[in-house]
Amino acid sequence: MAATTGSGVKVPQLVEGQKGVGDGTVSWGLEDDEDMTLTRWTGMIIGPPRTIYENRIYSLKIECGPKYPEAPPFVRFVTKINMNGVNSSNGVVDPRAISVLAKWQNSYSIKVVLQELRRLMMSKENMKLPQPPEGQCYSN
Amino acid sequence: MAENGESSGPPRPSRGPAAAQGSAAAPAEPKIIKVTVKTPKEKEEFAVPENSSVQQFKEAISKRFKSQTDQLVLIFAGKILKDQDTLIQHGIHDGLTVHLVIKSQNRPQGQSTQPSNAAGTNATSASTPRSNSTPISTNSNPFGLGSLGGLAGLSSLGLSSTNFSELQSQMQQQLMASPEMMIQIMENPFVQSMLSNPDLMRQLIMANPQMQQLIQRNPEISHLLNNPDIMRQTLEIARNPAMMQEMMRNQDLALSNLESIPGGYNALRRMYTDIQEPMLNAAQEQFGGNPFASVGSSSSSGEGTQPSRTENRDPLPNPWAPPPATQSSATTSTTTSTGSGSGNSSSNATGNTVAAANYVASIFSTPGMQSLLQQITENPQLIQNMLSAPYMRSMMQSLSQNPDLAAQMMLNSPLFTANPQLQEQMRPQLPAFLQQMQNPDTLSAMSNPRAMQALMQIQQGLQTLATEAPGLIPSFTPGVGVGVLGTAIGPVGPVTPLGPIGPIVPFTPIGPIGPIGPTGPAGPPGSTGSGGPTGPTVSSAAPSETTSPTSESGPNQQFIQQMVQALAGANAPQLPNPEVRFQQQLEQLNAMGFLNREANLQALIATGGDINAAIERLLGSQPS
Repeated sequence: MAATTGSGVKVPQLVEGQKGVGDGTVSWGLEDDEDMTLTRWTGMIIGPPRTIYENRIYSLKIECGPKYPEAPPFVRFVTKINMNGVNSSNGVVDPRAISVLAKWQNSYSIKVVLQELRRLMMSKENMKLPQPPEGQCYSN
Repeated sequence: MAENGESSGPPRPSRGPAAAQGSAAAPAEPKIIKVTVKTPKEKEEFAVPENSSVQQFKEAISKRFKSQTDQLVLIFAGKILKDQDTLIQHGIHDGLTVHLVIKSQNRPQGQSTQPSNAAGTNATSASTPRSNSTPISTNSNPFGLGSLGGLAGLSSLGLSSTNFSELQSQMQQQLMASPEMMIQIMENPFVQSMLSNPDLMRQLIMANPQMQQLIQRNPEISHLLNNPDIMRQTLEIARNPAMMQEMMRNQDLALSNLESIPGGYNALRRMYTDIQEPMLNAAQEQFGGNPFASVGSSSSSGEGTQPSRTENRDPLPNPWAPPPATQSSATTSTTTSTGSGSGNSSSNATGNTVAAANYVASIFSTPGMQSLLQQITENPQLIQNMLSAPYMRSMMQSLSQNPDLAAQMMLNSPLFTANPQLQEQMRPQLPAFLQQMQNPDTLSAMSNPRAMQALMQIQQGLQTLATEAPGLIPSFTPGVGVGVLGTAIGPVGPVTPLGPIGPIVPFTPIGPIGPIGPTGPAGPPGSTGSGGPTGPTVSSAAPSETTSPTSESGPNQQFIQQMVQALAGANAPQLPNPEVRFQQQLEQLNAMGFLNREANLQALIATGGDINAAIERLLGSQPS
C-alpha cells in the first residue's frame, strides 16, 4: 500500500522503538501492533534518577497526525505528572512549551520527543516539583 | 534471525499459549530467542523460549538482577508488559531490547508526597502507629519508661528482638513529641559540649547516607556543612534553645513575607520539596508519614509544630529546625536567582546547620533517657540489637577510623573536664578501645547475658570495695571496667561516675556503649564518649574479660589497680596537661587579649581545645 504519509520516518521509528536504543530510559512502540497507519503510539519514559521522577514510569500517548513528520506529533501523558509544559488536568503536552515540539523539524522523531521530555524532567525547574502519587492516570 | 534448534528441551514448566498472531504458527518446539534487558544502569542478555510468558521472563530476570519479580517492570515499545502476557504477544523477537525498571521497595527520599499525616501536626498522634501501644507518655521523665514502653514493655509486646532501629525511631518520636524533653536534652552539658565541635558535627552528618543523598541533590547543604563558621554558629545556637526558638520565629516570619512576593510562593514550594521534604521523609519514614508532605504552603506549617517534628537518629538535620531553615537556604539559591528578596541568606544558612546540630543534639540523653538506659541494660538482648544496627556499625567504624574525632568527643565529656588526668589516660587508649568495640567478639560478649552478668558482678564487687575501702579507690569508677564493653551495668554508686558510658542509643555518634545507668553525683546524663572515658584503659582487659567471663577477676583487678594508681592523685603529678596541651591555644588567646590565664585554661578545657568556642565562652562570661 502506498505507505501512509510519513511512513518513511515512522517505520524506522518503529524498528528503533523495538530495538530499544539509547540508554534504556525511553521506550516507544505502536499502540496497536496491527495499526497499519502507524499513527498511534505509546511511549514510556523512565523517570531520571536524582529527580523527583526517579524510578517512576511515565506512560504517554503519541499521535502522529497526517502531516507528520512535517508537523509535530500530538503528545499526551497518560500517567499523571507535574511538569512545566504539561497540562495538569489532562496530561496534554503543550507544543508551545516544549522546544522540540515548538520548533519541530521533520528530522525529529518520537524518540527525540521522549528524550526531550525526559531531559526536561531533569531541569532545575522541574526536577523537584511535587508529584502526585505514583500510578495515577489522567481520566480521559 | 538466528534460529536455535532448540531441542535442548524447554525447561519451562508451562508453555505460554502459543500466540497465533501473524501467519506463522509457532513451531512445536519453542525457539530460544535472545532478548536484551536494559536498565538505566546495565544491560543483560537473556535466552528464553520465544513463547515464554512475561512472568517466566521476569523470573529469569529476577535471578540475574537479584530482585524480586514483583519489583520488576518490563517495558517494550512503550508498553508495560504484564505478567500474563507472552513475549510473542508483544512482538518481542530475537535480538530485541526490553527495558527494565527495578522498583525499590523503600523510597529513600521522599518522592511521593505522602498525605498520610497531613493533619497530624502533633507528633504524639504520630507516635502511636508503632505497635507499641502502651500508654506512651510524652512527659520528660516517663519518657524513659513510657516512651518505648520501657524496653521491657516492648519485649512484652513481642518487639524485643526486633529491629532496634524501630525502637529508636519510636524514641525519636517521643522525643520530638515532647518539647520539654528537647529542651532538657539541649541543656545537657554533654550535648552542648558535643555540639561545640563543628568538625564532629559535620562528620556525623556526612556519614549518614540519607544525608549524602540529600547533599547530592542540594549542594548548598554541603556548602553549609563545610563552612566552619556556619557550623559553629549553628552549634552555638543549637546549644541555646531559647536562641534557637528566636531564630525559628524569625525565619518563619521571613518565610511568610516571602510568600507575598510574586513568585515567592512557588519559591517556597520549591524550597520545601528541595530539601525539607526529602529530609522530612527520610527522617520520618519510620514515623508514619510526613505531616507536611501534602502541604503546599509549607511556611505556615513550619511554625507551631517544630517540637513535634521527628528526627532521624542518624546524624540528619532535625527536620524540626529545617522547615524554616532549609527552606530559607533553598530560597537563597532560588530567590537570589529569581531576584526576589533574599535577606535571609545568613540566617538561612545558620538555620540549616542549626537543624543539623539540633538534630544530633537531641540524641543525647536526658534524665528520662537515663532510666531508659537503665532499662536497656537490663535487657542484654537489646544491646545486641543495638549493636547490630547498621548505623551503629557505621558510626563505630567512622569513629575508629577517626580517633581524633572520638578523642574529641570523649574529651568533651564534662566528666573529663573535671579530670584531665583521666583524659590523658584515655587518649592513647582510644584507638585500641574503638577497635575493640568493633571486635565482633566484644559485641557478642556484650550480648552474652552471662558475660554481662559477670561484669555486673565485678562492678558490684568494685562498688563494695569502694564503700569498704574508699581509700583504695578514691575516684575509681567500677563502671569503667565493665563500662568499656558498654555492657549493661547497674548504677555505679558512690564512685565518681565516669558516667553512663555512652548512651545505648545508637544515634550517639560515639556508639552505644551502653549506659552505665544513672550514675551518682556529677554523672552527666549522656556521655557519649566513645565507649566510656575510662573504658580504654580497661579495654585491653575487656576482651579477655568478656571472652572468659568466669575468669575475669584476675586481669580486671590488675587493671583496676593500675587505674587506681593512675587516678590516685598522689602518684601522678598534677599534670600540667591541660596547660601543656593547650599551650598553643593559650598563646593565641593571650595574643588576642585574653589575659586571664586561668579563665582561658578553663574555657579551653571546657571546649576541648576549640579556640573559637573558648573565646565565646570567655566573652560570654565577661561582665561587659
